[in-house]
Amino acid sequence: MIAKPAIPDVLREPGPGIGKPLSRVDGPLKVTGQARYAAEFNVPGLVHGYIVSSTITKGRITRIDTAAALRRPGVLHVFTHENRPHVAWFDRKWKDEDAPSGSPFRPLYDDRIVHAMQPVALVVAETFEAAREGARLVQVEYEAEPHETDLAARRHEAFTPGKEKGGFEPPPKPRGDPDRALAEAAVKVDVEYVQPTEHHNPMEMHGSTVVYNDDGTLTVHDKTQGAPNSHSWVCSVFGLSKSAVRVISPFVGGAFGSGLRPQHQLFMAVMAALQLKRSVRVELSRPQMFTFGHRPPTIQRVALGAAPDGTLQAMIHEAVQESSQFENYVEIVVNWSGQQYRCDNVRLDYKLARLDVFTPLDMRAPGAATGVPAIEMAMDELAHALRMDPVELRLRNYTDRDPNQDKPFSSKELRACFAQGAERFGWSRRNPQPRSMREGRQLIGWGVASGVWDAMQGQADARATLGIDGHLVVASATADIGTGTYTVMSQIAAGTLGLPIGNVTFKLGDSALPMAPIEGGSWTVSSVGSAVLAACERVRGRLYKLAAKMEGAPLGKAKPADMVLTDGHVALAADPARRVPIAEVMRSGGVLAIEEEARSVPYYVKRAQHTLATHSAVFAEVRVDEDLGTVQVSRIVSAVAAGRIINPKTAGSQVMGGVVMGIGMALEEETFMDHGLGRYMNHDLAEYHVPVNADIGSIDVIFVDEHDEVVNPLGAKGVGEIGIVGVPAAIANAVFHATGVRVRELPITLDKVLAGLSRRSAA
Amino acid sequence: MPGTVRFVLGDRVVEVSDPDPTTTVLQWLRAQGRTGTKEGCAEGDCGACTVVLGSVDDGRISYRAVNACILFLPMLDGRQLLTVEDLREPRGPLHPVQQALVDHHGSQCGFCTPGFVMSLFAEFHREEGLKDEEGIQDALAGNLCRCTGYRPILDAARRVGAASRADRFAVEEPRMLALLEGLRRDTGLALTGPDGRRWFAPRCLAELQALLDAHPDATLLAGATDVGLWVTKQHRRPDPVVWLGDVAELRRIAQEPDRIVLGAGVSYAAALPVLASRWPAFGALVRRLGSAQIRNSGTIGGNIANASPIGDGMPALIALGARLILNRAGLRRTIPIEDYFLGYRRTALLPGEFLEAVEVPSVPGGTFATYKVSKRRDQDISAVAAGFSVTLEEGVVTEARLAFGGMAEIPKRAAGAEAALVGRPWTLETVAAAMEALGTDFAPLNDMRASAAYRILVARNLLMRFHLESTGQAELLEAADA
Ligand SMILES: Cc1cc2nc3c(=O)[nH]c(=O)nc-3n(C[C@H](O)[C@H](O)[C@H](O)COP(=O)(O)OP(=O)(O)OC[C@H]3O[C@@H](n4cnc5c(N)ncnc54)[C@H](O)[C@@H]3O)c2cc1C
Ligand code: FES
Ligand code: FES
Repeated sequence: MIAKPAIPDVLREPGPGIGKPLSRVDGPLKVTGQARYAAEFNVPGLVHGYIVSSTITKGRITRIDTAAALRRPGVLHVFTHENRPHVAWFDRKWKDEDAPSGSPFRPLYDDRIVHAMQPVALVVAETFEAAREGARLVQVEYEAEPHETDLAARRHEAFTPGKEKGGFEPPPKPRGDPDRALAEAAVKVDVEYVQPTEHHNPMEMHGSTVVYNDDGTLTVHDKTQGAPNSHSWVCSVFGLSKSAVRVISPFVGGAFGSGLRPQHQLFMAVMAALQLKRSVRVELSRPQMFTFGHRPPTIQRVALGAAPDGTLQAMIHEAVQESSQFENYVEIVVNWSGQQYRCDNVRLDYKLARLDVFTPLDMRAPGAATGVPAIEMAMDELAHALRMDPVELRLRNYTDRDPNQDKPFSSKELRACFAQGAERFGWSRRNPQPRSMREGRQLIGWGVASGVWDAMQGQADARATLGIDGHLVVASATADIGTGTYTVMSQIAAGTLGLPIGNVTFKLGDSALPMAPIEGGSWTVSSVGSAVLAACERVRGRLYKLAAKMEGAPLGKAKPADMVLTDGHVALAADPARRVPIAEVMRSGGVLAIEEEARSVPYYVKRAQHTLATHSAVFAEVRVDEDLGTVQVSRIVSAVAAGRIINPKTAGSQVMGGVVMGIGMALEEETFMDHGLGRYMNHDLAEYHVPVNADIGSIDVIFVDEHDEVVNPLGAKGVGEIGIVGVPAAIANAVFHATGVRVRELPITLDKVLAGLSRRSAA
Repeated sequence: MPGTVRFVLGDRVVEVSDPDPTTTVLQWLRAQGRTGTKEGCAEGDCGACTVVLGSVDDGRISYRAVNACILFLPMLDGRQLLTVEDLREPRGPLHPVQQALVDHHGSQCGFCTPGFVMSLFAEFHREEGLKDEEGIQDALAGNLCRCTGYRPILDAARRVGAASRADRFAVEEPRMLALLEGLRRDTGLALTGPDGRRWFAPRCLAELQALLDAHPDATLLAGATDVGLWVTKQHRRPDPVVWLGDVAELRRIAQEPDRIVLGAGVSYAAALPVLASRWPAFGALVRRLGSAQIRNSGTIGGNIANASPIGDGMPALIALGARLILNRAGLRRTIPIEDYFLGYRRTALLPGEFLEAVEVPSVPGGTFATYKVSKRRDQDISAVAAGFSVTLEEGVVTEARLAFGGMAEIPKRAAGAEAALVGRPWTLETVAAAMEALGTDFAPLNDMRASAAYRILVARNLLMRFHLESTGQAELLEAADA
């Protein structure tokens, strides 16, 4: 039973455990190899599927010959579009929680090929090796059609999307007359930035193990950021009743967005299990991890005009971004610029271009990690043109109201981020002149940028069950993709009920548990944490009532309002020495367990009156080798304002991980497309570079105090995305400061830097 | 008679009869339900599959971290295999490296964690392991983590480095030595997999020669860091395979007065101290070749024989005037290393012939340096690699050997640039002329690693840098800085 939301509209003090740097509760399982991931559940009779990928990018399958594969010993069945079982027909049946508008991709649906390496068959065999060998033997003939995968070639045919996806806001209407203001501005920059395709590449590849139970129901172990999302999608696509499927996902080896939508392997494994009535595992290979969604390439124009004192007079930010032919993937790219700075003449524009690729997919800080670097690099160019300190320029145009929506921020301590970050970094010692610092043949540069991300919240449920043994089990169907959900939720629960953390078990990643939204966008602490808090508060309320009614009145005439929970006891707030063990309270009340379920819903009214966001100021130091063009990031300081920090250890490492992904964005990450073939070229970890430990210098994360009563009862905003946002621009700006070379096309690789340096010395 | 691979898994002897010879250790472990060891790429790039091999070395057990995803099961024969499940005593406390990772929050999603645990464990058992920042970075270069940002893991490594090296594996060493002694073979292992593919692991040179005489088309296998990918990535099925890893003679290192002779089967990890003490720049380069796991498995012979245009060892070896000893049925010939490379992946090796050793002249001759330039500092293929050596007499260049990788379809000397140096004073003007000549010596390719223009430019800059360094005008550029 889910009771009506009864969350008082105030920020609450959830108890003593909050804010402590607790070590992860799941750490020991992970260091001993006991944590099991989706592809690691073995059951007797398990068979293996291997996906065959198309060799063309666009066209039709004309013939598919599976005879040779079927002759391979061990091969049981080959699924193709010609023999696949019946699946749903309506587009809406294929939509998942994160689907944009359009027609979701349907594996093995018909003979159409719409993107490179599209799955065209599934070979199922007794062993993985036999399946892989069988996949090699499937012969497919195609009729290819011309494709287009180059964003630059389609940018002029781009269109303005509508509200195609939950969470997306189209850019606000233009303000003032930006073109004229730009033309008349004393100082201006008008430049174009290009960002490449990136792939999430979590360390765990996507896999699903579908256990076919004796009664014909399915237990699905899936790599997902939302077990309920996979669950309802599977039921809807295959026309199964909710009770016929259970999706479990207790551990996820990273995702960064790749698990927000159900991926090919889930469809394939479920299809094969239903048809063959066997348990089936399908795992993607690392190259296949490049076949289902990515951070889309983007071309952006940013034009800024300012008065000589730095006051912004004109801002134009236009972005063209890739989407597929079948869905309108959208993300907020340009709106941040209008939100971050005060300016009277603003035009923000966002367009999509259709290309023959798979639909892009949210990747850590989707949109912000694309749009914010552009505006933040442009602000640096403007500061240079103005001969003004880049921090000063940002403060000059600082705003305490969101100009896009003309609303106050629920809280915004960005000024403090700049101040504390600059102090820690030693920014005041910076010589503004590019190329002013060197050591031997290394040029050294310092750069700064700010970051911003929405503080979102969704509706979530949680259940708390306190046993008379003092053990508390809290459950919600949310996920822990490495973000520390287990730990943080345990901490909130333990804090609320005054229990040692060791007495709390948090259960997640199971579609049978109380509902929670997909884990993404840094909203899990906010959404699920609020539900955990609410459920535990109800348990607490019941304990107080029982304590008040206890025989012999050990707490006198105390009312619930006079009580506190500490150390496993109900105590008098005024005199904590007078206390009764929880077990005794429950025994005298005649209960063995107290179970409460609660739903938390966002403070819709208060939230609607505000803009809610996390902010950061990032400072970077780079060293650039003059002869080789190589860039090393020697130092980063990231000062973050994200409301209340529940656990500085998990939050700090979330930000640190984001910073390092930002270093990757700035210097390394790029999926190359061979436009002739329409196919990604570097689909492995040898050539798709993610940072290694030697790429990382010193990283300092500062959490700035921030008090927020609007965001949620915890006052916490979430930190999963903000870490990455300001980093690419801070590094790009530092590279300019080191070298005098402006690289406007990410990533900043050695050849771009050296080409710039040699152009510079030739000039 | 069936062939049986025998090894110690944790602390128990395991026998596997006639497995598929190119099943990887990772596949085998996971099929056994031992899923602690993870797969992140199946090609040696990510380290999620890192396991530790123990083998007897001078009466002690030495441990080394390797990638299970490109290690074939029969390569375990006679060794101890440790995986993440083995470190904690049943119901006992965590191993110190595990505890350090927990305390420092070195694990988020946890998928990379078993690999880091095993890399740290191997270092824990090396006395000099994890003692300084460089050592820590080198030890962990082959382990990718997408979540933590590495800092917490590096902190854990520092703690392990400072801790005492006692653990139960040290206590149980005598028993393990006895177990491994019991697995020793006197003659080679021969296996036939279920589909008839064969595996031979000779124990000595004579056995190897005889085998290759009988199977001149066999695929030679050393550390499998190249061949492993033929199987996992290109799905090839080599037959028969002759594995060189147990041929004692190929693992010898001889330091003679005027030369160093490295057996072809010497791993880069084993060669590193020898090379580094004679040529520090070579040492710095080897530290950036692959990762600790790759250097523990990968051999010098494999690096040369693989004949990749971007093999990192070649420019240095060419610059140093190394020579190869080739052996065919006991008949030996010696050739300059640059003559080995005939064209793209074509070599002078004859059927039935194998590379036995590399000899590198070690008399102090000219000035030598070697460089590696890659997009990513570690775990990356070179965009350009270079090895330079010049000999001067009274300020005039008498001999120049300038070799490059990544600039042509084979590792190659820059004939024009060398000619521009010889007979001229070792000055910036002379070097400028040689830099110019590089433009006609090479016509490199544009690819994802770098543009052609970049390659030419950087080749020139490296030569200039070499000149500046050799004349004391620039601080020494460590290969590691590139
Ligand atoms: C992740 C990763 C990173 C890497 N990084 C680098 C790098 O930075 N720089 C670099 O140069 N290389 C790198 N390599 C390539 C590889 O590690 C090296 O080339 C290594 O030295 C190969 O040695 P091996 O013993 O593993 O060879 P194997 O894979 O066993 O064999 C390679 C080839 O050599 C032949 N061969 C082996 N021994 C002999 C012999 N004695 N006689 C005749 N033929 C023989 C084999 O038949 C095969 O053709 C990397 C590989 C991986 C997987
Ligand atoms: S699985 Fe990535 S290195 Fe082995
Ligand atoms: S903890 Fe997720 S990859 Fe390292």
